[in-house]
Amino acid sequence: MEGAWIDLAKFGASLIAILTLALLARWMGLGGDLRIRNADHARILANEAIEGFEPVDIALDKAGIGALLRDAQGQQMLLRRHGAAWVARLLDGATEARLDRDFLTIGTGEKTFGTVTLHLGENAGVWAAGLRRLPPAGARHA
Amino acid sequence: MPKLPNPVDFAVPFFILLILIEMVWARRNAPEKYEPRDTLVSLAFGLGSTVAGLLFGGAIYGLMLWLWEHRITTVPWTWWAWILCFVLDDLLYYLFHRSAHRVRWFWASHVNHHSSQHYNLSTALRQTWTGWLAMSFLFKLPLAAIGFHPAMILFCGGVNLIYQFWIHTEAIRRFPRWFEAVMNTPSHHRVHHATNPRYLDSNYAGVFIVWDRMFGTFVPEVDEEPIRYGIVRQLGTFNLLYAVFHEWIGIAKDVWNAPWQHKLSYLWRQPGWTHDGSRDTSDTIRARWQARQMADPAE
Repeated sequence: MEGAWIDLAKFGASLIAILTLALLARWMGLGGDLRIRNADHARILANEAIEGFEPVDIALDKAGIGALLRDAQGQQMLLRRHGAAWVARLLDGATEARLDRDFLTIGTGEKTFGTVTLHLGENAGVWAAGLRRLPPAGARHA
Repeated sequence: MPKLPNPVDFAVPFFILLILIEMVWARRNAPEKYEPRDTLVSLAFGLGSTVAGLLFGGAIYGLMLWLWEHRITTVPWTWWAWILCFVLDDLLYYLFHRSAHRVRWFWASHVNHHSSQHYNLSTALRQTWTGWLAMSFLFKLPLAAIGFHPAMILFCGGVNLIYQFWIHTEAIRRFPRWFEAVMNTPSHHRVHHATNPRYLDSNYAGVFIVWDRMFGTFVPEVDEEPIRYGIVRQLGTFNLLYAVFHEWIGIAKDVWNAPWQHKLSYLWRQPGWTHDGSRDTSDTIRARWQARQMADPAE
């Protein structure tokens, strides 16, 4: 019984320690503010996310928090900020897109990945139309 | 035979202190090296793994004791046995670790340690909750069957784990050549956590990098190419429970959907394998990268 109390005390102390460390990381301003600088930067990030993905058409969010990219084979990629890093997904038929003037809100169909709203300017409508012609869900990277 | 403490318990305060020091270093030099939510997830992984250890550790220790009672020989409780046990445990760690990257069943548990896109001391504590389900303890059993006492094996394993903590950092570049030749170091282990195609599935060592050199899995760090960390399909979420179980969920879905003759392959083949070739494995990614390098070496 004594052992169980010791384990519980260790758990409590560890919990306090990890919450303190996470709060300290926040208080210190760690994490930074990443932005996509330009199309070349987006191209590099896309290729890093999926080896061999060579975009021929790129739509950058005006604030640089994400991008939509299309390669020569017609594959479309959503690139977005994730904390102090970048994540990407090839889009398929599970994609949900909602157009609101210059803004395009995109969800990959993957609940935990969430949605992102990109300010694409006048290109938003063209890209929204392109998202209606995607391969069936699960065809890649299920 | 004396009752041995868990060495990790004594190391925890130093872990916390070193993380604090590294955070101060990051604030001054590269704030993006830490991300508060990622740090919280990594540390929660560490805390959860200690709970899993409490829940399942006893049964695993019991199994090791049973094997030891039916041992081949008796290894004495003496100084050379400790050294031998530590070295052999590290060799078995290498084998476990290599399997953990090449067999999806083991990867489903080990992926937790790799799913951060950051590489700092908090990443070291990103330990799995489901090692018992993956049965990674199987790699500890041979030493007990030979005749090393389980208490000695687990103590050596604890020291091994403590050693691996400090190598999860970008704050240290390189050590003298002799040290880099023998020991696992931050440089070698950065390569292991990288998703750059040239680095995939390499540097599996725990303490001694010599195992990778011996078995052909060693890849040196190239200073000209910045390392990207994480997994080839990044999680894209800070949801702790999803981070813990996502690969197990993926296995269940794949086995459910696969044709009968392929179901088992989704358990034992390498991560990313599919019966229709619709996803990437580390081998296909590396092959694609190598083909591009051949076509355009400047890239």
